[in-house]
Parts: sequence; structure tokens; C-alpha cells
Amino acid sequence: MEPKLSSDLLRGHTETIVLAILLHTDRYGFEIYNTILERTNEQYELKETTLYSSYKRLEKDGCITSYWGDETQGARRKYYHITDKGRALYRQNRLDWQFTQTILSDLLKEEI
Amino acid sequence: MNTQQHIDGLFSAYEETAALLDFKEELKSNLDDRIGSLMKKGLTETAAFAKAIEELGNISVLADEISQKKRQEVFEHMYMKVSHYMTPKRVALYVLCGLVLGFGVVAALLSWFYSGDINSPLGTLLVFGTLALAGFLFLGLTQETAANEAMSWKRALWYTAAFAVFLFGLIVFVMTYFYFSAGSDPRRLPEAVATLIPFILPSLALGAFLLLTEKDRSKPWVVAQRNEFRQRELERFANPVQAERFGLVCGALWIAALAAFILLTITVGIKFSWLAFAAAIVAQLLVQANFASGKR
Repeated sequence: MEPKLSSDLLRGHTETIVLAILLHTDRYGFEIYNTILERTNEQYELKETTLYSSYKRLEKDGCITSYWGDETQGARRKYYHITDKGRALYRQNRLDWQFTQTILSDLLKEEI
Repeated sequence: MNTQQHIDGLFSAYEETAALLDFKEELKSNLDDRIGSLMKKGLTETAAFAKAIEELGNISVLADEISQKKRQEVFEHMYMKVSHYMTPKRVALYVLCGLVLGFGVVAALLSWFYSGDINSPLGTLLVFGTLALAGFLFLGLTQETAANEAMSWKRALWYTAAFAVFLFGLIVFVMTYFYFSAGSDPRRLPEAVATLIPFILPSLALGAFLLLTEKDRSKPWVVAQRNEFRQRELERFANPVQAERFGLVCGALWIAALAAFILLTITVGIKFSWLAFAAAIVAQLLVQANFASGKR
């Protein structure tokens, strides 16, 4: 049997994924989308709308900020920048996930 | 394929707010980048475009979030205008009635100039005026507006018939009166009055019946607003303390006005003293407005 990626499970963590990608540099929409595709070997059927929704939500909650880049040629790009609040949320969500993961693994273990 | 065109198409139903314009620009630059990267991987432009659009997903939820408030305003604005309820057919009919009326008036004036007889313009109006005004009434009654639902066309037809017969009877009454008085015949009013029986009386009866059995055709929001207004009025004046205060203020006002009137009559005379009452009426209105506005 081939393992398949559960897109539904990933979708629940979209915001944390976005925050993780923004941890070290500011990025714009296409970069974020591309990064996710590359890291999941293009197996994650992510809709861009889902990403845009999470940008809006994160921005409203003050976890990220956005600004227009000053591209000298071509279209302007909108960059996202993680805030301290966003970093804190990222750490918390990551802890939560690690904790949940151990419990889930335990729950899914075969009874011996 | 043009991404700008596609994005504009996606949002054509939404009002262009600053937030939406901002989002559209962001969307376009990302979409173009994505198409570029897909083409580098060997896809044709059409295929890359199709794939990028497919990856976008359902944008309407997001557009609702960004633009909902504005859309609400547009919605209300649109539905408050009468022009929203006008179909080309109705417009044509309104114009047609206007034309018939205009033609009737001009023809009546001309026939009056040439014949000099009052009955010839009346006869013209009898036909064209009645027809046009009845048409306007029918259109008006069956017209849906922001505040009212349209009347059913059957009921509107009854109204129109009653109105047309009434108007017809009215003109016939006047014509009969002039017809008999033109000749030197002494009898004139009785014949005219007799014409009331077949036309005016039945149409009045029908009209009264229709008016008395009329239903409220107000739209739900109008009814809601009316009830709210009534409720507020009730609260304001059902409050005994408020009512007492209102009574006291009004009483004091009019006693003062009367005193001023007497005093002024004695000192400067009746010519100016009546102004005291005029001032009192203004003051009364101000008091009323004051009580009606603030909730205290």
C-alpha cells in the first residue's frame, strides 16, 4: 500500500505552516505557496484561497503584517512579515502539535 | 489568456472597495508568477493558466469577506430606487399614456379654437384624457416600488374601470349641462344631474367598495419600520412622568403666550400683539420636537 498525504489534516494547520515559512524572511504569496508545494513534493492539494484566508485572519489577529514591495520592474508584490505575537503563536502551536502527535501515535498503535 | 480579465470577471459582482482592489492586485501578481513557474516546467500557456486558476479554488467566500459590507450598501441603494422596478415594457407604456394625454390636450385646445364650442374640447378629452389617466392609474397600481408591493392586475383593473367610468361620467355631466344651456332651453341642470345615475353613482360605489376592502401592500421592511416607530411613540408618551412634564411645559408656554398677547395689545396694539401666538406655535413645535427626539 502506498502512503497518501492527508490534505484535510494539513489544512487544519495552514496558519502554523504559514507562520513557519515566515519565521526567517518576509515572503510574498507565490513564494509561500511554492514553498509548501516543494516541501510536500506537490502532493498537498492546497487551494490558494485557503492561504489568502489565513493571511487575512493572521493579519487581523496581529500575528503578521503586510506591505507592498517596491519592485522596480513588473507587478508589485505583497509581502508578509511575522510579528512577535505570530512567533509566540507559532511556538505554542508547534508545542501543541508535538504533544498531540505523541498521543495520536499512541492511540493509533496496534494492540499487542 | 489575460489574468487581469479573469480576475475582474471573478469579482464583477462585487463593489470595488479599496480592500478589494488591493487584494486583486496581490492576486494578479501571484497568479502571474505561478503561471510563469508552471510554464518553465514545460506547460503551455493555456495549460498553465488553467492549472493556476484551478489551484486558486473558490474565491467567492473570500470576496464576500472583503467586500460584503459595501455590497450590502449597494444592494440597499439599488433596491430603493424606483428605476430598479422599471421594465422596458412598463416604461414604454408610461410614455404611451403620456403621449395619448398630450395628444388629447393639444387636440382639445385646437378643436376649441376652431369651433368655439366648449363641448368639442370636452368630447376630445372624454376619449383621450380618460384613456390616458386610466392607463396611468393602472400602471401606478401595478407598479412595485421600494416601499410597496404591486397590486394584482385584476384588482387594479377594477380600480381602473371605476376611475374611468367616474371620469367619463364627470365629463358627460359637464357636457350635458353645457349642451342644454347652449340652446335657450330653460331645462339644463336636471338632465345633467340625471347623467349621474348611470356613471358617477355606480363608479363611486365600486370605488368605495374597493377602498374599504383594500389590503396593506407595504413591504415587510416598511411594516417593521412603522411598528418600530409606533412602539417608540408609545414609550415616549405612555411614560407618565414624561407626559406630565410635557403637559406642564405646554401649559406654561400658552399661559405665557396669552399674558404676552394681553400685555402687547395694551402697550403696542393688536397689530403686533398677535405675534405672541405665532411665537408660541413655533415654541410648541420646538418642545414637541425636543420631547420626540431625546429619550430621557
